[in-house]
Amino acid sequence: MSFALLWLPRVLEQAGLKVAEVPGWENRGLGDMGPVLGILCHHTAGPKKGNMPSLGVIRDGRPDLKGPLSQLGLGRDGTYYVIAAGRAQHAGAGNWLGVRDGNRHMIGIEAENTGLASDPWPEVQIDAYQRGVAAVLGHLGLSSERCAGHKEYAEPRGRKVDPTFDMKAFRSKVAESMNGGARPPLLIPALEPKPGAAGAAPRPTLRRGSQDSAVRLLCAALELPETSSFDATLEAKVREFQREAGIVPDGIVGPKSWKALDARRE
Amino acid sequence: MFNSAVLEVTMGILVVFLLVSTVCTAIREGIESLLKTRAAYLEMGIRELLHDEEAKGLARAFFNHPIIYCLYPGKYRPGSTKRQTLQRGGDMPSYVSGRTFALALMDIVARGPTTDAASSSPELAPLTFESLRQNVGNLDNPQLQRVLLMAIDSAEGDLEQVRQNLHQWFDDSMDRVSGWYKRSTQWVLFVVAMVVVGSLNINTITIAQHLYKNDMARAELVLMAERASQSAPAQDAALGQLMDLELPLGWDRGYGAPRLKHWHDRDGKFELWNDVFGTVLGLFITVFAAMLGAPFWFDLLGRVTAIRSTFKPKAPSSDPPAQTSAKNALNAGARAQTGQGSPSPSGGAEPPPDDGDACDHPIDSETADEDLPPARGGVMPS
Repeated sequence: MSFALLWLPRVLEQAGLKVAEVPGWENRGLGDMGPVLGILCHHTAGPKKGNMPSLGVIRDGRPDLKGPLSQLGLGRDGTYYVIAAGRAQHAGAGNWLGVRDGNRHMIGIEAENTGLASDPWPEVQIDAYQRGVAAVLGHLGLSSERCAGHKEYAEPRGRKVDPTFDMKAFRSKVAESMNGGARPPLLIPALEPKPGAAGAAPRPTLRRGSQDSAVRLLCAALELPETSSFDATLEAKVREFQREAGIVPDGIVGPKSWKALDARRE
Repeated sequence: MFNSAVLEVTMGILVVFLLVSTVCTAIREGIESLLKTRAAYLEMGIRELLHDEEAKGLARAFFNHPIIYCLYPGKYRPGSTKRQTLQRGGDMPSYVSGRTFALALMDIVARGPTTDAASSSPELAPLTFESLRQNVGNLDNPQLQRVLLMAIDSAEGDLEQVRQNLHQWFDDSMDRVSGWYKRSTQWVLFVVAMVVVGSLNINTITIAQHLYKNDMARAELVLMAERASQSAPAQDAALGQLMDLELPLGWDRGYGAPRLKHWHDRDGKFELWNDVFGTVLGLFITVFAAMLGAPFWFDLLGRVTAIRSTFKPKAPSSDPPAQTSAKNALNAGARAQTGQGSPSPSGGAEPPPDDGDACDHPIDSETADEDLPPARGGVMPS
């Protein structure tokens, strides 16, 4: 039997966000949630390496705590990982606008961040955080006041410090996004705007699953053995390259990545 | 003090009223679709309008006229001459338009009451203003003849105007039929509301007390109210929504019911107010609220929600822990007072949430980028 929050990926994708469904998410949860009255924002305090290193723990739980530990995970590249459609153990004791049982009434979002000063929040992730919260609240017909930081909800006060950013500013951004005041989401173009450096035809944007002859170009540029299918291993290599190049490490090879690859070759 | 809690309790009560009246209206419509009282009243109203209460002459001709006859199955059987609250309408039409009425009446006047080869022959002269006026005398119904003559003469030679006059006359008298039906509906709704409210024990006073003492239940109902004020609840879903509200409803949990246990606590002393009047009053408030109908409560809920939204949204709760535990104690006290043993899903009695979460815990198994599921979205459609 699947749980109630089956609309999550559709609503997030419609907001122009990157969404990845974690296999089995429809049936994952500790029973169904009650009426959803808000969203609780967390950060994982996980390792600094990788896009969403905490995903497995959020999905499966810890030896002392049964998973899932939140409904949504937010990767460093701004991708939402849909982990559970049912109830998750993310809230603990607390109170937000009268909501005391956060697990029953609030959707949990765990964003990947170490919570340390040495790990600033990437712009793409914060932007996706705000847009995603706005989209979910909008779908539920709730106001931006209904999204709380874990540190604001948790009791006794000071029990939790996540997330590290200012929740008031976050909520006003969410409200702006809900009222249509924010700029439209930045989408990656499907083709390069101008022909590549070699004067060839514009190269298409590639991502995992792409079956395109340009995948060979990509392998050549990364100095990898040639393949024709864009698989998870290649995606991880692309992310690594993007991290080194200082662009969004989302594993999607768009115009910016092609440009960076050209620069590397020269 | 008029604080936001009072307003929120009001909103919660309004949601309950809206749902209860929606349920009652749905049941009333179910009864109506079985009895067709409206059709019976319409048939009776037309008989009175045509001054033929026994349906021996003009009314029988009217209902047997082809343009009316096709509106109902079977043969015309006049209903009773006495009006009852739960009258059976049988197969009679529940609606006749004023235009159809006027056309049928004019045709009966001009071409005679029976439909046969003669009255339907194309050889007949076309219906004109003069032929209509001349034939009024054949009706053998002085009251109606007078009405028709007035309608014809005030039209000053315009056949279309005659039709409009008759149309108007029909519409005016149908307001009476609507009045009968409204009165019947009020009585039926009263009985239906008594049964619904009584069997579910929907006690307004108990619910208001519960909401006032219970922050959580109130928050849930306010949210429900905000949603319900956007779109009225569907009739078939209203009962389910009402039961999902986790309010003190039903007799099994002892809410609001005469508290026999407490009689013992009070040495068997019977308290007239708490044990009888309070319960009866609370139930009757709900009954009368249900009789006002769902549209009324939908309207009112919309207005109250608008008032609330003009207030500044509540600041995040910054109760020091001491105050919160005092509040919890209050809730516990309230529960003890109502003699409710079983934990309610909302408020202080919910199962204590465990403290676990994924934040601030060392992670022993990292998910590598290779093991992440594939993403979609974020790229412009090509």
